[in-house]
Amino acid sequence: MTAVVGAAEGPGDLQGSAARWRRRYAVDRIMRWGLPLALLVVLAPLFDMIYWIAVRALPTFTLATLTTDQVGLGGGLYAMIVGSFTLLGLATGFAAAVGIAAGMYTAEYAPPPVARWARVAGNLLAGIPAIVLGYFGYYALVLYTHWGYTTLAGGITLGVFMVPFIYRTADLAFANVPSEQREAALAMGARPGQYLTRVAWPIALPAILSGVFLAMAIGLGETAPLLYTAGWSSTPVAGLFQPTSFLTGAIWNFYDYPATEGSFQALAFQAAFLLLVLVIGLNVVVQAVAERYRRRTRGMRA
Amino acid sequence: MDEPHPPGDRSGPDRPPAFLGPPAPAAPAPPRRERSLGRWLGSPLALAPLLLLGIVVAVLAIASEGQNFGLSFWGPVWAFNPTDPAGSTYGIALFALGTAITAGAALLLASGLSLAISIALTVYLPPRTSRVLTTLTDLLAGIPSVVYGIWGFVVLAPYFASSLEPTLRNALGWLPGFGGPESAIGGGSGLLLGIFILTLMVIPLTTAVMRESLRSVPRELVEAGLALGATPWEVVRRVRLRVARRGLWGAVFLGFGRAVGESVALAMVLGNTVQFPPSLYGGSSTIASFIFTQLDSAFFYPELLRALVEFALVILILTIAFNLLGQRAVSEVRPRAVAGAGGRA
Repeated sequence: MTAVVGAAEGPGDLQGSAARWRRRYAVDRIMRWGLPLALLVVLAPLFDMIYWIAVRALPTFTLATLTTDQVGLGGGLYAMIVGSFTLLGLATGFAAAVGIAAGMYTAEYAPPPVARWARVAGNLLAGIPAIVLGYFGYYALVLYTHWGYTTLAGGITLGVFMVPFIYRTADLAFANVPSEQREAALAMGARPGQYLTRVAWPIALPAILSGVFLAMAIGLGETAPLLYTAGWSSTPVAGLFQPTSFLTGAIWNFYDYPATEGSFQALAFQAAFLLLVLVIGLNVVVQAVAERYRRRTRGMRA
Repeated sequence: MDEPHPPGDRSGPDRPPAFLGPPAPAAPAPPRRERSLGRWLGSPLALAPLLLLGIVVAVLAIASEGQNFGLSFWGPVWAFNPTDPAGSTYGIALFALGTAITAGAALLLASGLSLAISIALTVYLPPRTSRVLTTLTDLLAGIPSVVYGIWGFVVLAPYFASSLEPTLRNALGWLPGFGGPESAIGGGSGLLLGIFILTLMVIPLTTAVMRESLRSVPRELVEAGLALGATPWEVVRRVRLRVARRGLWGAVFLGFGRAVGESVALAMVLGNTVQFPPSLYGGSSTIASFIFTQLDSAFFYPELLRALVEFALVILILTIAFNLLGQRAVSEVRPRAVAGAGGRA
């Protein structure tokens, strides 16, 4: 096909022969129906994955799976669920404190060059491979401190991993507060601190929360920062300086055992199923919160 | 924050201030001190991400204890001898090859698929369908990598070994990498499965970035193209793709950074062998997956731990480089698109 939109050919091109016209639109039609097929290529595996994990997990999935400890080859996921949420709680506490504060200051106070560098650093931090952070946690918090494998080390490492996700959304949330709101507040005599806590914060909160939930969904699914910091334990977490098990660790530790009824592998699939449910649930929450935020700011911009 | 409000200030936690009633009398200017204090305190806090990044890099540099990257480090020999850890050879080349093959092939496949998907989503599909499908592709990004791994290992590997790989070998055996003896096909774990899984894991990221770059193409350019009589596809090819070019490349770079860093899922489906992969069906290891599987035993061998930190530094530098390239390209999407429109119009 030769240049069609090229300026050189001019309007004469529009009066091309009927055959040529048909050919051009045939190509367009092929693309119209062909390109969406790529979506099928990608979504088919997604549904296949969800289907197979449900098939492998559900026959043996009972309430006891959630409430009993792992015993011998089988048992339940209680210790891992408690461990995962303890780690996630620690990590979210750390990451939310650092991320929200940093995001707020980047958007509101930092001079533009500082803000630019901070944003670049935030994006780079988000790009650090999880296993590199795992090594960092292992070296700095397990070996150097002589703590050994601890829940605290796992929580901090996971927290460092989660910081950039919260930071980015908090930064955006504050930056996206309509400037009329700031101008109105300042014009009425509010101090910058008052503006931040009473005007910007309530407006930005839903977006910040959706960032926190998103970071939690990502953190819940991570293995590499935890395996060599939180260690492993088949009983529920006993303290901050004790090792703990976690859901993703259950999958990694048990996935290659032979598949028999009530086995380690069944436990791994149950953990995978539970993770899928939790992660998809958190994503739904993120969508709902983000939608609420959009509605709230839309009214202001109108 | 309980300072007395000037009259007329109706700000409250859930009532943003607005001019209700008579205009407020002129309020005193905010005290200078508070603003500068905020700025002064703010800069280090805003730099928290930079600080964390610095701490991570510094710890890794300290962990490597300064004796790094010798000649044998870049070599292809990995011969770890537990009885003589100091005399062992720690070469990265085989793992770098694994990373290059898996990440390269996955990116090639993911870029093509993502381009097709993002064009379909932004141009061809009706908005409502497009929104639902966008949510679904984003969901793919949220699935934990261990879940990809267990699905790949337990569900896909037997299928790969029993039907897909023999079929490929018979059909494409003349291509380098696709041939090899029948025995080369093991349990299904190997490069082919690793590439497949990695492609799926990278697609949500590349798709999201490509989608947004295509969306940020100025509407006037698209409409101008259509008004000239171009078909929608011709507008895609000659306008949208050209204007969004940098953002599309940015997606590829960001995707590569992601692919290089993936460890868990690959450790589960790649076979974890230390060898020159005989074919696409053979096992392999990437730098990241190898660190992941070896860190446990490194506890007892300081030399092994040091070798692994050098591995970690290599992928850290690679990911930082690719992320910087990607960010640069992506951040320039909008301004350039507008400038381009002005320049050509």
